[in-house]
Amino acid sequence: MAATDERDDAAFPVGAACRIDSRSPWRQIAEIPVGLDPEGIAVDVERRRAFVACSRSDFVSVVDLDGHEVVAEIPTGAEPIDIGLDEQTGRVFTADAHSDQVTIIDSATLEVETALPVGGYPSGLTHVPDFRRLYVGNSLGSTMSVIDLDTLETVATVDAEPGAGAIGVDPTRRLAICVNFVAASANFYDADSFEQVGRLELGTGTCAIGIVPERGEAFIVNSIAGTVSRVDLDAIEVVEEIRTGQAPVGLTVAPAHDRVYVTNRGAGSVSVLGVADGVEWSQIPVGNGPGGVVVDQHDGRILVANAGSQTLSIVEDLLAARPPAPVDEPTSPWIGRKLPEFGLEDYWTGGQRTNRDWSEKKYILNFFASW
Amino acid sequence: MDIWEGTEPRPEVERFCDMWGIKGPILLDPDGELAGTLGVRGVPTNVVVDSDGTIRAFGAARLDELEHAINELYGRT
Repeated sequence: MAATDERDDAAFPVGAACRIDSRSPWRQIAEIPVGLDPEGIAVDVERRRAFVACSRSDFVSVVDLDGHEVVAEIPTGAEPIDIGLDEQTGRVFTADAHSDQVTIIDSATLEVETALPVGGYPSGLTHVPDFRRLYVGNSLGSTMSVIDLDTLETVATVDAEPGAGAIGVDPTRRLAICVNFVAASANFYDADSFEQVGRLELGTGTCAIGIVPERGEAFIVNSIAGTVSRVDLDAIEVVEEIRTGQAPVGLTVAPAHDRVYVTNRGAGSVSVLGVADGVEWSQIPVGNGPGGVVVDQHDGRILVANAGSQTLSIVEDLLAARPPAPVDEPTSPWIGRKLPEFGLEDYWTGGQRTNRDWSEKKYILNFFASW
Repeated sequence: MDIWEGTEPRPEVERFCDMWGIKGPILLDPDGELAGTLGVRGVPTNVVVDSDGTIRAFGAARLDELEHAINELYGRT
């Protein structure tokens, strides 16, 4: 096990019906090194394994969820970003963006079974066991591929919009919703006929979606706008914009459907948003640059892929309900202090640049990564 | 300030600059040393620096936050 950080509060018993006035309404269980730029996560509940798509390593890290260590690496196509597991067939699917394909892995043998061609730059996928369908969002192709989970045949390729990626499905309304990052929009399709039944303009950088069918609502992340849109699925309209932490990118709905978890790539945290009240209940610190997020149905723990740290975080949300006090985003202790001296390589010239190159100037240091 | 590529940063930065048409100064901090010193936990993170080297704002990932920080820096609020 690597880098376990237990921050249990003795006055804050772990488990259900916890107090909600603790200073730390969360607990870090483990942070496990995986491959480069981990993004999507799928959990094999029965075998106690997590499959982590490591997009810069071109493989899937297989993590033992009890031992908290990587037990296998399975090669995929180039740049696997998203991943899903169909429990009925035991197949794991990865969206290999730079190979324009979906790799299919046998979760029992951990061997690659086959690969299926899809549209250009597949970056998101969702499988729906009841429909026996896998939906794939193809960002450069501006399409959504629909694959039969059993026969592995492509049953439809549907026009979407630039940056098509994350897909959500409402089994009650039989709606498939494709979220388009570049177009900042979402397309709504009849899940059976694949006819488009609606379209929404959303915030900049739409990139993740979660559905709460019993409320008739979808929650869609707008990463650049820094919000989550609450969408009424009957009216197909945005009814609320919810602020989160910095640069939200991933979202999953908690098993009880009372909250959603949103990873904040800019803050290194997970926001806990109340489904009913649209309020940020807490922020759980994880690794650097978090993206993919899922909940382990076995124990309710939250698994987060940290692209900056190259790790998988496992954390527990200990809140029983909305806390009495709102979230205070921590302020950097560096505000008001001098920027420390630095000397770094200039990408364009190869020379060294230091603070002195910008002395007596006002400027912004923008920390970024290409992923 | 490019950080945390996890691999040789140059080709990744080149691809990124081509995609987004970036032409401004880019510094490489592959090990995230400065980021670590400053406690940067994610990307993007904007650090707004005054002419005397003092950090005036930190984070400001949202456009409205960044605009606000710039306005404050120039005394426009």
